[in-house]
Amino acid sequence: MSDIGRQTIQKAALTFSVVYALCSVFCLPSSAFPEEYTFDLSEIEKKPYHIGGYAEFRPVLFGLDKDTSLYKLIFYNRDEDATLEEYNATLQLEGSLEKGITRLFVRTNTDYKKSYLGEDQETTIYEGFLSLKPSSSLTIDMGKKMLKWGKGYAWNPVAFVDRPKNPDDPELSLEGFIVAAADYIKSLEGPLKTISITPVLIPVYKDINDTFGEVDKINLAGKLYLLFYDTDMDVILLTGGSKTARYGVDFSRNITTNFEIHGEFAVIEDYRKRFIDSDGNLFEKEFDAKSYLAGIRFLTERETTYILEYYRNGTGFTTDEMRDYFSFINTAYDSYLASGSDMLLKKGLKITEGNYGRINPAREYLYLRISQKEPLDILYFTPSITGISNIADQSFSLSPELLYTGITNLELRMKASLITGERLSEYGEKQNDYRVEIRARYYF
Amino acid sequence: MFKIIITFIFLFYAIPVHAIDGAELLKQVDRNLNPESYESYRKLINIEPDGSKKEYTLFTVKRGVDKVAFLFLAPASEKGRSSLRLGDNMWLYIPNVGKPIRTTSLQSIVGGVFNNADILQLDYAAEYNVEQTEERGDEYLLHLKAKTKTVAYDRVKMWVDKNKRVPTKIECLTEALMLIKTLYFKEIKDFGGGIVRPSVIETDSPLYKGYKSVMILAKIKKREFKDEVFTLTFMPNLESLR
Repeated sequence: MSDIGRQTIQKAALTFSVVYALCSVFCLPSSAFPEEYTFDLSEIEKKPYHIGGYAEFRPVLFGLDKDTSLYKLIFYNRDEDATLEEYNATLQLEGSLEKGITRLFVRTNTDYKKSYLGEDQETTIYEGFLSLKPSSSLTIDMGKKMLKWGKGYAWNPVAFVDRPKNPDDPELSLEGFIVAAADYIKSLEGPLKTISITPVLIPVYKDINDTFGEVDKINLAGKLYLLFYDTDMDVILLTGGSKTARYGVDFSRNITTNFEIHGEFAVIEDYRKRFIDSDGNLFEKEFDAKSYLAGIRFLTERETTYILEYYRNGTGFTTDEMRDYFSFINTAYDSYLASGSDMLLKKGLKITEGNYGRINPAREYLYLRISQKEPLDILYFTPSITGISNIADQSFSLSPELLYTGITNLELRMKASLITGERLSEYGEKQNDYRVEIRARYYF
Repeated sequence: MFKIIITFIFLFYAIPVHAIDGAELLKQVDRNLNPESYESYRKLINIEPDGSKKEYTLFTVKRGVDKVAFLFLAPASEKGRSSLRLGDNMWLYIPNVGKPIRTTSLQSIVGGVFNNADILQLDYAAEYNVEQTEERGDEYLLHLKAKTKTVAYDRVKMWVDKNKRVPTKIECLTEALMLIKTLYFKEIKDFGGGIVRPSVIETDSPLYKGYKSVMILAKIKKREFKDEVFTLTFMPNLESLR
């Protein structure tokens, strides 16, 4: 070996030794050092105010199905590619100010969307209320507030004073209504452990809660909660004129430590259902709509969680009514192609809004979510799969999801949805065949 | 002769201690760990095999033998979440979801080795019977058996410091005596008000090889609360107790 070669090997060996030594000192896992844990008391000091929230970025890719009724209804005058991109950004801010028994809380939501329709931005006050807490038994809230009544995970037929949640993402915060509400709690000994009463006033006037129902009315809602023989129970009612009277009950109970059952039952008096036949004739029917939900939550020893819910929507459309609606849209589209007139499609859009266009407009649904916590010992990682099916027409959406929360205050989620069904079925006629989205949310 | 001495030493070492009332000792351990009703501030740290950490700060309140609740103060992603335990019933309140949902003792709100039952720990004497007490040098070893099937761990082995009457180590086991996790109680600290107890609890588990979780107690003091605090309706308002 030449001197140069020997020197090169020696240099390489020396370099390796230095790097190895440095690694030995600096790259050891922290557990190799004696543990020192710190807990600074300033971290727990209570401040009279709080500001926080999250910022989120959520790009979505839609795979369009151009043969479906809803594609024809939404895109009839556009020529889109096979896929559509959408970019969403959300800033949700919340702040509170507390002094003595008084607390002011505000939550705002700003959505920015860039889609095939262009750019759009909207800021909404989701919640903003003043809370008085004269004792641990009594709370009085005045302002915009979401109440979120009911025990169901995907649906809540008894949530008479809430906006409907999206079963595809049931944990999203929602916009509340302007209310005056109180909570009175009483704890007892014996099988009846807790009673709480929540009366709520909902004024509906022009520019105040005008999406709630008929204006110039003051509505009264109420909830009686009982913890009775280890079972949560609520009796709920709403009356006052903006909506027809409605009442319901719900319950939730652990059968064993890892097996929970829950249910809801609701009656909406004099519900008016508007529907359309395949020729475009409009009908209206009035009846007492009875809705109910039965569900379980089950956790296995391997930390797999199953949430299963059956929902019977008394205000929903039958399979034949849904078929008639989709047939009418197809007829309207054919008419548009033949004549160039979109009059019938506009009629279709009108009956869709708030009616057939509701998140789940049909009669019977099944929801199943299976999530596995930290599989393969990957901490903070939760894969899951969610299926929502219209039982009557056997159409469904299936959504696999990966969630990672390992970085402090950062939540990363990737979700896909496959939407499928026969022609003239609910999911078979959705405008998308599939959807893929990535959500990055940073809390501060 | 040597064999006789060894046998004698072994018998002396392992024989159950009849002079010690195990149930009474367990009650003393409970009271030395916490007053029956108290408020406390804790930090949970999950440590991954590569050394990376995730921390959670909790405000905890407890009343009597079966009522306990905590509120997340940090990190921002968890702030405002709270959990309530009334005996065997457990609920989790997530501000966005807006209503408490039932949860179970085996689930873990924070991920890592600590589960809900570890964080919302009731008195050991409320959940376990002492089956056997052994004397092991400077320590007692208590063999505990869950009173009901709803308790998170069917069997628990608790090593108790003879003088200070606080645990030094706890092994949590299944009915088939499979080890689920081990808790190590460290760094005894005087918190004032007569509370002298370990301020750090480390835990590891053969089910989470290489992972470790640590609970640090910064503040604990006796405080009385009304029963109404421990209700579903009050869960969104736990912050008002601070």
